[in-house]
Amino acid sequence: MTPPSQLNASAVADRLAEIVGDRHVLSRQSELLVYNSDGLPGYRRQPRLAVFPGTRDEAIAVVRLLADEGLPFVPRGAGTGLSGGALADDIIVVGLHRLKEIISLDIDNRRATVESGVVNLRLNKYVAPYGLLYAPDPSSEAACTIGGNVAENAGGPHCLKYGVTLNHVLAMTVVLPSGEVVDLGSKSGEHDGYDLRGAFIGSEGCFGLALEITVKLTPRPQTVRTLLADFMSVDEAARVTSAIIASGIVPAALEFMDGPTIRVVESSIYAAGYPKDAEAILLIELDGLEAGVSADLEVVRQVCVEGGARNVKVARDDAERTKLWQGRKKAFGAMGRLAPHLIVQDAVIPRTRLSDILETIHAISEKYGVVVCNVFHAGDGNLHPNIAYSADDPDESERVHSAMVEIMRACIDAGGSITGEHGVGLDKIGYMEAIFSETSLNAMCALRSVFDPDRRANPGKVVPVHSCREWNAVASARGAASVREPMPLAAEPARPSARSRNLESDLWEDR
Amino acid sequence: MTRTEAVVTTVREGVAGRTPLRIAGRGNWLSAGRPVSAAKTLSLGDDSGVVSYVPGDLTLTVRAGSTLAEIERVTREHDQWLPLDPFGSDDGTIGATIATASAGPLATNFGLPRDLLLGLEFVNGLGEVVRGGGRVVKNVAGFDLSRLLTGSWGTLGVITEVTLRLYARPKVDRSFAVSLEGSEKSTTALLRTVAASQLAPFALELLNGAAARSLGLGDSAALLIRLGGNAPIVEVQLKALSQVARTEEVEQSTWTEFREIDRGAESVIRISTLPTRFLGTAASILADTQPRVVISINPRRGVMRLVTSGGGEQELMTTVDAGIPVSFPTDGQGAGTSVIFEKLPPEVWPVVSPSVVSDPLSRGIKNAYDPHNILNPGILGD
Ligand SMILES: Cc1cc2nc3c(=O)[nH]c(=O)nc-3n(C[C@H](O)[C@H](O)[C@H](O)COP(=O)(O)OP(=O)(O)OC[C@H]3O[C@@H](n4cnc5c(N)ncnc54)[C@H](O)[C@@H]3O)c2cc1C
Repeated sequence: MTPPSQLNASAVADRLAEIVGDRHVLSRQSELLVYNSDGLPGYRRQPRLAVFPGTRDEAIAVVRLLADEGLPFVPRGAGTGLSGGALADDIIVVGLHRLKEIISLDIDNRRATVESGVVNLRLNKYVAPYGLLYAPDPSSEAACTIGGNVAENAGGPHCLKYGVTLNHVLAMTVVLPSGEVVDLGSKSGEHDGYDLRGAFIGSEGCFGLALEITVKLTPRPQTVRTLLADFMSVDEAARVTSAIIASGIVPAALEFMDGPTIRVVESSIYAAGYPKDAEAILLIELDGLEAGVSADLEVVRQVCVEGGARNVKVARDDAERTKLWQGRKKAFGAMGRLAPHLIVQDAVIPRTRLSDILETIHAISEKYGVVVCNVFHAGDGNLHPNIAYSADDPDESERVHSAMVEIMRACIDAGGSITGEHGVGLDKIGYMEAIFSETSLNAMCALRSVFDPDRRANPGKVVPVHSCREWNAVASARGAASVREPMPLAAEPARPSARSRNLESDLWEDR
Repeated sequence: MTRTEAVVTTVREGVAGRTPLRIAGRGNWLSAGRPVSAAKTLSLGDDSGVVSYVPGDLTLTVRAGSTLAEIERVTREHDQWLPLDPFGSDDGTIGATIATASAGPLATNFGLPRDLLLGLEFVNGLGEVVRGGGRVVKNVAGFDLSRLLTGSWGTLGVITEVTLRLYARPKVDRSFAVSLEGSEKSTTALLRTVAASQLAPFALELLNGAAARSLGLGDSAALLIRLGGNAPIVEVQLKALSQVARTEEVEQSTWTEFREIDRGAESVIRISTLPTRFLGTAASILADTQPRVVISINPRRGVMRLVTSGGGEQELMTTVDAGIPVSFPTDGQGAGTSVIFEKLPPEVWPVVSPSVVSDPLSRGIKNAYDPHNILNPGILGD
């Protein structure tokens, strides 16, 4: 593998430009600033080059060129990731947002084949007239790409009932880092042999580039009902969440927002009419056949009331429903305006532990003097504690980091996972050893090595290099000490520039 | 020594002596898959029991040797269930069900094993204990070893423990049969109506005459449907169905019998294709009034199963023929049909089906996880 320092950037840029055209290769540092972070602005890495293929063939040619030259690269979709996954540290970004063709739609069989750069919401708008939807709906749906969703195994509010990306992808065409093109999975849905499609989903850009993706579509439900329940205590809302899950009803979505989040949203342009004095709200959606939904609605309403809800309001029409959802979907965007930096975690805990973990989070926030906002996919137990802060203030940064580490520790101790949908990327790599043994991490490295023997695709992400036996063997054979990566535990002190700051708020506000 | 450690010891002995192991659950399905040449059987049949079950979380962690019946019993106490009903009986183990990615009628609504599995522990071919996924319902930490092991037929690791997603038991759960004795045309019309309807059945299978007969549903082809959920939802669906067909309620045990339709079978072939391909062809496949092959079609999943008992290679060709209109249509829709051989007479294996893991990625993975080829050698072909 060619070390970045030896990369003759301008010669490589010229050859990439021969494939994609001059306009689609960036090599000036100022132009590359846009690509120095993803949706988690605390991390910055400056790429050396960025290349944007416009067709699948161009993408394959780009990867083959990089393979011939032994150059490492990072796939990138829309850059909305929340784990630093799409960052390229002095290496090449292969951006896929120009691959935006919806290749085919099979209405009767309810499936679509799209290029990986197709934006999630665009696919949904495209299939809506046929009474269909693509179920995984990350809150970033207006910007994120299906390729990025596949790479992260993205979720979203409605994944509670419908499942995450992995439950909706049938087949993929992938270009491996070697430049070889392979088909994974089967468009018919079932096949024998190893589930390579399953292995690829959630591989965070480390197994190659997804070029073409065949997804399952879901019929639009006959009826959708959205409830807003508000509470005067976080604990009541948490207990009601557990009670709804335990009742056996599977809502389409069950989202939680605490008091600080409500107040930020309500004082922003995304105000949704949430009661500002509430300490928590639950946004609950039920869908399906009218008769069944009405019956479940009554049960859910009763659970809320018995659990201490002050009011339970049911959206009267689509406009009201959209407004209620807008507050939730733009919550991070609203939060982003509080302070220059936002740090978001993504731990998942067993759903019976919600109440005590939220209490623990509160205690931790008091201990460190930081304000933690909680807005999350409660039905799945997928927390998103987040803190708006300024990375330029070293004391504040330090307290924020310590609080986040302690929160993560509590979630792990509760039997949880470190990430439910945002991925490990750079951000959570330091926690991997807390939940996986050495042999498990090594098995993951071994899998990655099969897809990418030279470790050129998105190096330094997901699995700590030093836990990879085979790679360490290579390193020590070369006489090098085993490779140890820097492992930031939370957002590092950033070097925000005026320019990147604007881009970043654009990104957040786009949703 | 923990039970996982016992598996580790056995695998390490296998590695040391280069003696391949046949991995077995309760041994019900050992004749499926390609022939395995192994010196020793590593059985997980006794390695059963609940590791962790907090009903409020709707997740269950069990040892891999737990039977589906045991899981059914444990979860029923809390009015929950694991909606996974692979062909065969509930005497099979969960480990084998995951390892073979076996699903049954309930997959129509609840998905395949890959959709229900949250995490697992396995022992790879080097005798190392590996965990993938976790015990919570949503998890993207690390690469997805759970999906990788599902359907790997024991060739990448011996599954020792699994965590599964559970559901609350439906308040109402009823099943109905519709006799398809009319013309091909009327059957096709009915299937199209059902396909286009808002019906969201738990399970839906089309049975040919042979299949219907073995379930005591008469001599004609039949549609078997399971409707579940709260009372109103079952009611509206039943009403909608009754408007287009004459329904007759059947015992839930009909499904148990249906799942045992493979018993004593010599070959089982599954064809997976685009669901619409069955809309045009199902009626003619089902129309054969003297069928020798037991056929069931799940038009939602796009899956047809062909089961023969006895008759050897000749019978097998008939079986494959029956699948031909579906598997090789000339409708220009391109690829997208998989023919999966679940079970064949041993002498037929080398003839009909090459290895299903011969591509470089699959070989690479096998080599990384079981470099000495100790685990179930040959079961997926070489
Ligand atoms: C406001 C906001 C809300 C969000 N809400 C949710 C949510 O509800 N649920 C959720 O799951 N996520 C959420 N996210 C996170 C993020 O949007 C998702 O992870 C999304 O899937 C990333 O898509 P992207 O196209 O932006 O990918 P990027 O950020 O560009 O890349 C993400 C990773 O995927 C890899 N990658 C991208 N494209 C490809 C490809 N074609 N082939 C191979 N690898 C590729 C990259 O290398 C990187 O590792 C949110 C983000 C924001 C900013």
